[in-house]
Order: sequence, then C-alpha cells, then structure tokens
Amino acid sequence: MAMKRSILGSGYLSPGSAIVMLIAAVSTVVVLVWPIEKRQGLEFWTFSKTHSQMYAEQLKTWNAQADAEGAHPRVNLFVIDMTALVRRTLSSFWADTPVADMIEVEGNTIGRYVAGPLEDVGFVDLTDLLQEEGIYDLVNPPSFSLWTSRGRVFGLPHDVHPVMLCYRADIVEEAGIDVSEIETWDDFARVLAPLIKDLDGDGRPDRYLLNTWYTNTEWIEPLMLQAGGGTFDESGELIVASKANALVISTIIHWCFGEGRIAIDAPEFSPAANHLKIEGRVVASLMPDWLASTWKNDMPQLSGKLKLMPLPAWEPGGRRTSVYGGTMIAIPKSTKNFDEAWAFVKHLYLSEELAEELYRTTNIITPVRRYWDSDYFNEPDPYFQGQAPGAMYIALAPDVPPRTSSPFRPLAMTRIGEAINDLRKYAQANDIYEVDGLMPEALRLLEEAERRVRAEMSRNVFLTEVTP
Amino acid sequence: MSRGTRTPWWAPYLFIAPFAVAFCVFTAYPLFESIVMAFLQTSGPKRSEYVGLSNFSWMWEDPDFHKAVRNTVIFACGSIFIQLPCSLGLALLLNRPDIKGRAFWRMIFFAPSLVGLAFVAILAGLVFEKNTGLLNVALHQVIWFDPEFPWLQEYVMPALIISAFWMYVGFNMVYFLAALQNVNTDLLEAAQVDGAGPLHRFRHVTIPAIRPVATFVILLSLIGSFQLFELPYLLLNNSGGPDNQGLTIVMYLYQKGFDWGDLGYASAVGWVLALLLSVFAIIQRILSKTEVA
Repeated sequence: MAMKRSILGSGYLSPGSAIVMLIAAVSTVVVLVWPIEKRQGLEFWTFSKTHSQMYAEQLKTWNAQADAEGAHPRVNLFVIDMTALVRRTLSSFWADTPVADMIEVEGNTIGRYVAGPLEDVGFVDLTDLLQEEGIYDLVNPPSFSLWTSRGRVFGLPHDVHPVMLCYRADIVEEAGIDVSEIETWDDFARVLAPLIKDLDGDGRPDRYLLNTWYTNTEWIEPLMLQAGGGTFDESGELIVASKANALVISTIIHWCFGEGRIAIDAPEFSPAANHLKIEGRVVASLMPDWLASTWKNDMPQLSGKLKLMPLPAWEPGGRRTSVYGGTMIAIPKSTKNFDEAWAFVKHLYLSEELAEELYRTTNIITPVRRYWDSDYFNEPDPYFQGQAPGAMYIALAPDVPPRTSSPFRPLAMTRIGEAINDLRKYAQANDIYEVDGLMPEALRLLEEAERRVRAEMSRNVFLTEVTP
Repeated sequence: MSRGTRTPWWAPYLFIAPFAVAFCVFTAYPLFESIVMAFLQTSGPKRSEYVGLSNFSWMWEDPDFHKAVRNTVIFACGSIFIQLPCSLGLALLLNRPDIKGRAFWRMIFFAPSLVGLAFVAILAGLVFEKNTGLLNVALHQVIWFDPEFPWLQEYVMPALIISAFWMYVGFNMVYFLAALQNVNTDLLEAAQVDGAGPLHRFRHVTIPAIRPVATFVILLSLIGSFQLFELPYLLLNNSGGPDNQGLTIVMYLYQKGFDWGDLGYASAVGWVLALLLSVFAIIQRILSKTEVA
C-alpha cells in the first residue's frame, strides 16, 4: 500500500535533524525580516580615531543644522581600521560594492587607488573644481602633490606635515653644546659626537645621536626628499639613481656602521623603542608635526626635556625640512550626493575651527594658509621647553618637498631598500664606511634598482603613460 | 517492499545538491576562472588584458618572486630538517616508560600549538626585538651577546623558523607519539636479544614502523610551509620586512592580487604554487608505494 509521508515524523529525518532544520528555517526568516536601521544622510569614513574625535564638534553642529533647517543632509562618521578601509574602498572601485560618500585616504595608500587607467580611478577628479572655486590658492601648494596623479587632483589635503629634528635638550644642554652651530648633517654628527656614550659600562656605546636605521626605508624616504632625491620627480620621471639618493644611502650606511656610527634603531610606535628614548639612548629623531602629539601621548615623561629645530641640511644653504605622512579627503564617483558631500568636505577641511582643533589635538598644521597667522600657533608648548612648534612648522611649510602618488612608488622604495642592504654588505665586506668611498657603489646599486623598476613598470599594460 | 516505500530517484541528488552547488560556485568556477585569469593582466576584476604567457615568463625575471620562493624553501627546510627531527626526538623521549610525568610533559610541549599564529607573531615580535627583546636581553646577560643583534632586520627567516618551531614542534610530536605506539615491542626485544644497540634498533625497527606516518607528517609540514602567510605577515607589519627577507609565496600572491589588483599575475603565482605542491604530493605517493612494495 502506498503510504503518504511527511518530512517530519516519517522517518526521513531524525528528531535531532528535524530540530536543526527547524532552527535553520526560523533563523533564516528572522534574519530576513529583522529591521535594519537605515541612517539618513551621508556616510563618511576615516581610518583615524583621533580625526573622528577632532571632527566630533563640527559634525554635531552640522547635523544639528541639518535637523533644524534641513538645508543639507546629516553626515554619519565611521572609524574603520586602515586595512579594512582600503580593502572596502578598493572593492567598491573594482566590484561596485557599497562605499561611503566621503573617505579619508592615508598617504601611503594613494598609489593603490590610482594604480589603473585614469578613468578607472574611483574618486571624483576635483582638479577643475579646485581651480574654479579658488581652493588652489588657499592651500599650501606642495600639499596637493601627493594627491595628484597624471596632473589630476583626487582629494583635498588635510595637512602639510613638515619634518623637524627633535632633540633631547636636557642632554645636549647639560653637555654645553650649542645646536645653533648645526647647519648640515655633517655639523650634526660633529657637534653632537661627544654625546655618544657607553651608559652601562659594557664597552659598547648605548647612546647614539640619531634615530634612523638602514632597514627603515619609510624614514629614509623623507631624507631623500630633503636632499632632492626620492622615487619620481614632479614630471613623473624615475629618479631612483639620482646623486642625491646615492648621497643619502651612503650617509645612512656611514651613520649605521663603522667608526662614524651615530644612528640607533628605535622605530616609532614601538613601546620597546620608546623605552630607549625615555632612557636617553636616542638624542635626536626626525619629527613631522603629527608625531609631536604621538610622543606627548606615548612618552609624557619626556615633557620639558625636548626641543625642536629645523632639519640639518645636506649641504650649506640647503633645504631644512622634509615631509612625512599625509591624509586627504576624497569623494567616490559612486556617490549620489556629490554636491552635498563636496559642501561638507569644504566646510570641514577649510574651516578655521578645524584648523585650530587640528593643531590643538594633534599638533598638525593646517594646509590652509590664511590661518597660519592665528595666535594659537604661537602658543608656547611646555613639552618642547616652551617653544611654539606650530609657528616653527609653519615657517618650514612652504619649503616641504613635493611628493609622488605614483603606484610604482612602493616598488621603487622596495628596490631602494634592496640597494641599501646591498650597500651595507659591500661596506662590511670591504670595510669601507666613509661616504665618499661608498658613493660609487651606491650609484651603481641605485642604477641597477632603477633598471629593475623600469622593467616592472614597462610590464604594466594599463599604465604606459608617465605617472607623476 | 511496495513502490510507495522506496526512496524517490531524485533523493540522493537533492541531498548532495547543497554541497554540489556550493562546490561549483565557490571551488570549481573560481578554479576555472583562475586558469583563465593566469593569462590576463588585470587592474582589479573589472579591467583585464590578455597577455598570453607573459605572467609566467615574468616570474622567471621577477626578483620578488625569486625571493619569495627562496624564503619559502628555506622555511620549509627549517621545518623538515630542524623541526621534525626535534619532534621525533621529543616523541621518542616522551614515549619512554621510565620518564615521570609523561602526560604533563606532552601537554607542555603540545600547548604552544593551541595558541593562534597571530599570538605567536605578536610574541615573536617581543622576543626578537633589538635592544629590549627578551632573547637579546637574556643572551646579553648570560653570554654578553650583542643586544643589538638584528633578528628582524637581517635574520628574518631564522626568527620565523624559531617561532614556528616553538609552535609546531609539540604538534608534530603528537603524530610521532601515535606512530610509536605501533612499533612492535616484540621486534624491539628480539633485536635487543640479537645484540642490536639503541641506534640499530631505531634505524632498523622503529623507523620502518613509523615511516608511513613520518612521510605523511613531512608532506603536511611541506604543504604548511609553502602556505606560510600569517606569521610573517603579522610579525613584519603586513609586509615582507626589510629587503623582503620574510616574503613568502602566498604573501607575494596576496600582495599582487589584493593589494595591487593584478589578479592575473596572482593567479599565475597560485598555479605555480599548486604545481609545486602537486609535485611534492606525487613524490610522497611514490615513496609510500615504494615502502609498501
């Protein structure tokens, strides 16, 4: 006899399996019908918690106006971890996944966004708008360079990030040394040499003059830029094998090894390295404006022991600053609210309130030049023995070197890093540590590095044109 | 049995359908797509150009790929020639009935493998730090070792091998311990009666008995080594480290495909990796057959 059987209770499924199926079915329905709160207004992503705290007040006012007057939409700010933010943004460019209306982009990641043909860059090209609205004239010109690809600008800069030298004034002054004698890096090594000391009596020096190391290419790049080198020039030409770069990498090896050693490896954001700085084993470090606030938060013990001075130049009369780090705000092409987003971007980045908040919270100086005369930049800072870091950084801001947004920059820096490592091996094998002795080999290695970068660039079928 | 009680003909297909659909969507199709992609250069998934065999030919010239292969092979050698013998040694030691607290020691040696790779990477960062790292400080105190010894600047692969050793030596020990249970004690006793010393007994009785498991563990370690990613990625701050000394094949694939959008080249690298692993698997199979014969 044919039997009619239902799925549940006929023997097709055990009671356990039936319960699992039931739970799966119920949870599926719940997930499908669960109400999702949809935020009204624009979405704004940043990678920095500090930035989000800085923007809080401005956002509150903006959103209050939006609620009261309805003149513009609300803005909802989200802090997203940098790696996740880059991944989600690239996913939106590559696969049309949802993305914010405004995104803050960190300098080291810009190459990834502009890696394809110009028309594939997922951010709105702001070049014409910046010109039409006169924003070019408001902002420090070098600040645009990092956000410019093939002559087109894709964002509004958040900062300038000039670099100064931060030194342990307590140690230097106790030794009776006058830093005003220092104009060049050679002066720096010569004048401060007496401070290299064996502090624990084990026969090896523990205190060195400069926080840098041959493996730390991230911090060698600002020195190359200061010397007039780097990876690409303003016209997009590859300049890896420049004499300026050869001088810098030879000097770095000279600083790290041999009789003339003055360098110590105490990387930023490392508690262990901070310990070295607090112990006084590092006399001086490169310090972009943003790093000043990081030191204040991470090493309050150094308050009143530090001072800032312009970077020593590579030759007499040379550039006394460099540039490190950077952020911009960009608007993805996929936004349906460009005008509203652009209005908010200008309101936020060009406002005097933000300029002040930016400096007070993070020591970052605004790229908007009309605010550079503000009083708060001249306020003495007890962390730096009463110096006014704002005014000091602003004095150097117009002189920061331009940078490249080329997607090949990380590749070029990798090859330069290999050249430095090979130069280190050459120096150790031949016991040559003087800059003049290292220069010919440095140039040869950089030429080889440049040849490799060119080979890899020529392989890219999408970027055949010059890519500044 | 009446027709009505029989399972419908479509029932098996219904039950395998969820897996079949998932397999086709998430494994078979991507696999096929990656073969096609290996002959393209892409700028993200949207834009691609056919480049023939250029992705494969570039691999011969690409210094980063060479470095990644070299680093991965060094790591694999460290796993096979340092880690596995130590695992076997530990297993032999902890298999001795005269060792007190064997279960405790087994747990102690196995415990690191319960920790995730991410934690190992963080710990290794603290251990191998210059000047203030646990290893350099301890060695400096004991044997006046250079506290600035640059583990993570110039000796990245040794640091990675040591970190992986700490994590996996106990894990592989468990495989060998299980294999040692299968060694025929009668044979061992007979060999001893015949005058065979410990080395001879180990070579002629123990090794043949544990060989199938040992071959399997070697293959697993080899595959694991060639898939190395998280440890260097986290230890070296999402990069290959100074001079790309910690760059592995999978890291390189990831960087090319997901950081730079060249999914074509990443696919080609992936297929070369798959080919390498297949070769190892075939060798293992041949060796296993030889043993059986």
